[in-house]
Amino acid sequence: MAESPHGSNVPNAPNVPDLPEAVVAPKSRRSLQLVWLIPLVAALVGGWLAVKAILDKGPTITIAFATAEGLEAGKTKIKYKDVDIGLVTAIALAPDTSHVVVTAELVKDARPYLVEDTRFWVVRPRVSGGTVTGIGTLLSGSYVGMDIGLSKSPKEKFTGLEVPPIVNTGEAGRTFLLRSDNAGSLDVGSPLYFRRLKAGQITSYELDKDGKGILIKVFVATPYDKFVNENTRFWHASGFDVTLNSNGVTINTQSAVSVLIGGLAFETPVESAELQPAAADAEFRLFANRGEALRNPETDVMKMAMVFEESVRGLTPGAEIDFRGVVVGTVTQIRPHVDVGGSNFKIRVKADFFPRRMRSRDRGPVMTNDQRRALLAGMISNGLRAQLRTASLLTGQLYIALDFFPSAPKAKPKKDARLDDDDLPEIPAVQSSLVQLQEAIAAIAAKVQKFPLEQVGADLQTTLRSATRLIEHIDNDIAPELRTTMAEVRKAVESMDQALKPNSPLSQDARDAMREVSRAAAAFRALADYLDRHPEALISGKRADPKETGK
Amino acid sequence: MGVLVACHECDLLQREALLPGGGVARCGRCGAELYRDRPASLERTLALTAGALVLFAIANSFPILGLALQGQVIDATLYDTVRRLWDEDMKSVAALVFVTTIAVPLLELCALAYLLAPVRFGRVPPHFPLVFRVLQAVRPWGMVEVFMLGVLVSLVKLAHLAGVVPGIALWSFGALMLVMAAISAVFDPRALWQAADAAQPEAMR
Amino acid sequence: MTAAMTAAELGLLSCHTCRLVSRPARGLGEMGCPRCGAALHLRKPASVSRSWALLVAAVILYIPANLLPMMKTSSLFGSQSDTIMSGVVYFWTSGSWYLALIIFFASVMVPLLKMIALALLLVSVQRRSRWQPEQRARLYRLVEFVGRWSMLDIYVVAVIVALVQLKAIATIQPGAGAVAFGAVVVLTMFSAMAFDARLIWDTRAQSHG
Repeated sequence: MAESPHGSNVPNAPNVPDLPEAVVAPKSRRSLQLVWLIPLVAALVGGWLAVKAILDKGPTITIAFATAEGLEAGKTKIKYKDVDIGLVTAIALAPDTSHVVVTAELVKDARPYLVEDTRFWVVRPRVSGGTVTGIGTLLSGSYVGMDIGLSKSPKEKFTGLEVPPIVNTGEAGRTFLLRSDNAGSLDVGSPLYFRRLKAGQITSYELDKDGKGILIKVFVATPYDKFVNENTRFWHASGFDVTLNSNGVTINTQSAVSVLIGGLAFETPVESAELQPAAADAEFRLFANRGEALRNPETDVMKMAMVFEESVRGLTPGAEIDFRGVVVGTVTQIRPHVDVGGSNFKIRVKADFFPRRMRSRDRGPVMTNDQRRALLAGMISNGLRAQLRTASLLTGQLYIALDFFPSAPKAKPKKDARLDDDDLPEIPAVQSSLVQLQEAIAAIAAKVQKFPLEQVGADLQTTLRSATRLIEHIDNDIAPELRTTMAEVRKAVESMDQALKPNSPLSQDARDAMREVSRAAAAFRALADYLDRHPEALISGKRADPKETGK
Repeated sequence: MGVLVACHECDLLQREALLPGGGVARCGRCGAELYRDRPASLERTLALTAGALVLFAIANSFPILGLALQGQVIDATLYDTVRRLWDEDMKSVAALVFVTTIAVPLLELCALAYLLAPVRFGRVPPHFPLVFRVLQAVRPWGMVEVFMLGVLVSLVKLAHLAGVVPGIALWSFGALMLVMAAISAVFDPRALWQAADAAQPEAMR
Repeated sequence: MTAAMTAAELGLLSCHTCRLVSRPARGLGEMGCPRCGAALHLRKPASVSRSWALLVAAVILYIPANLLPMMKTSSLFGSQSDTIMSGVVYFWTSGSWYLALIIFFASVMVPLLKMIALALLLVSVQRRSRWQPEQRARLYRLVEFVGRWSMLDIYVVAVIVALVQLKAIATIQPGAGAVAFGAVVVLTMFSAMAFDARLIWDTRAQSHG
């Protein structure tokens, strides 16, 4: 450590201008300078800002997500209807690492929105339900979407949705439940159509508890929801609906979207249009296609059976039962029965018969089952029979036609009690025309078989042999003679030809003779003339004519 | 018998003289400023330091600038700046920015407050010389005013890109810059030493 | 008027921190200021060599600082690297010529001038030149004052990088040039701090006697 000098120890200390010592006025410790205004003002401003920040502080919540993808602490915002309503402040793994806990701070005004059924999800670019959503987040970064619930009980710990909800709370409409055998090509977000207009979408689906079907929750928006009543039919409208049935081939599709991602459609049959709209969460059955949906309504079903003794290949459950062109029932079950005792094989076809279709609407009281059976028995005795007919030659599909066959054999009373364990009325069957055709052809074939082909063959051979002999005869014997004759005839013709030539002597002689004759004729004519003028010449002779003598 | 002083620039040995209010003493040879009369230095410096500390707190709690794009506002506090540089693998630059704009100003203000407040009220705080050395060593590295200019330049540069929203911290930093400039004008180390000596001479030995 | 004498000539030590003039103590070893405890030296130890070393390092790093990019902008429209000069050019061509001047001055001229000035001072001191010490002293004061302003570009980069984080549209990253430039600023500041200005006057004093 050096020592601090004080003037006197230092030689030759230079003198910087000697100024008189000024009087130092002691500072008063208590006087405050004006400069203290600066920190005062700063402190006031700072304090005000701090107070404002504290007052503005909104509620803090935690949201559990499966993944923190796209989320950044301090940056990711929470938005409701695209309005900034909060900010993610921290992201951490849950203690059991099964999910991610996101802590977020919301604005003060958001406190009443944090209720039981408020939902949060992450908005990222997503392809689902036929639409691409959240493209904007590619530019602006993902954010947390929010849907405010209607409940009144506040909540602070939330579980976030992994997928944005299909419908937001407060969207007008109703939810219904549909039961289906399988999910087809349906997915959350698949559209629901009404008269080809998008009326709603699937919000969720899950396997039925007993695994026997799928329960689909579908949301129908206003104003379409009022068209849904208890008799409304829902069906799969996914993809191409190709049906091959007795009506031929039909291809049906709702829209390009439904082709791609599946869809449903609904319609209310005209006769039920006036019913009350269905309540929310009403259950419906989901049919496989439109035809089935609209077709299957009948509550008034009479079951019956038909027994066939021919092949029913081409007949499927669901095939129509047709009475003179009107569809009056559907086949439900086809089972073969083997009569163990005899060698009888019968096929028993069970069918649903809709009596309403065979009578005019709204006329007369509804008949009881017994009455119907009696009526049926009467028709059978009049010749009502069931016959298998080909619906389409292309596919080989069959349908059952009911008609009156006056020439049918009398119906035998039911003998095989074993066959019918369900006491269904039976309509006897008549062979299908195909079978008849087959039999006819078989008969022809049999006839053809009986034809004595060998005999005919043998006779033919004999005839041929004689013919050959005859020809030989002609050739050997008759032919040479004929040839000679022909040569002679030719000769004769030649000589005649010769004789008749213009310069042949024969013709010359002929010509001479003709000349003579003509001269004679001329002379005779002259004589005739003379005699005509001088008839006396005949007696007196000819006078000498001066003219003639003059020569 | 004035106190001796050696010019820090030319090393000329001179005797200190008392100055009229607000006067300057310059070196006889090179004209460098030897010392200056700063009335009520302690008091004023303390006041300014207090103000600067508040402003510093505000400036670091709020964002300086915000970039508004498509309805989204991205803002950054001073710490965000450092953090971002650090994350971008520019750790040295991040450290430099942190030191010159956060660490050093804070240290400077705290040291000033530590030294001035007790002395103002007649006491000498412990480790007075050490803190004083730290203060003097660290002062050249505080660059708040350069930072302010940098922010202004960035503001203009970004205004081409998108809307720029000045944050609260911007104004706070501006004020801080002015206050710290005032502190350097008002702070008189000689007065501090004299006051400390006067207050507790035995503590200065 | 008696002859002016420097403290060094009298063997007195002047504290750099608190300006106290004190006598050297007897004994060996580092001497500390009696008042503030700072290390005392007649002149800053190894001033010229330290100053040179730092200056040379700064000059070496000045090249990559200007060649390497300060900022890399990657956006939908492609990426772009900006060096200090290209930033100046950008500002000039886009109409903010005052900004271009500020940046040019702060980031290009100042470091350059600083380095040249320091070199000049060091050379003059090493060669014991007697040329215009007042001017040189003023030059030194200028160098010290202006040094910090070179940090401007670093702060600009820092702020812009922190703000422009629109992941998909545009991201701006700091470039390696920023590191080099920061190093240049720091090194020149240290170099100026290592240089003992009193050396300028020492030659003068010596020549007198």
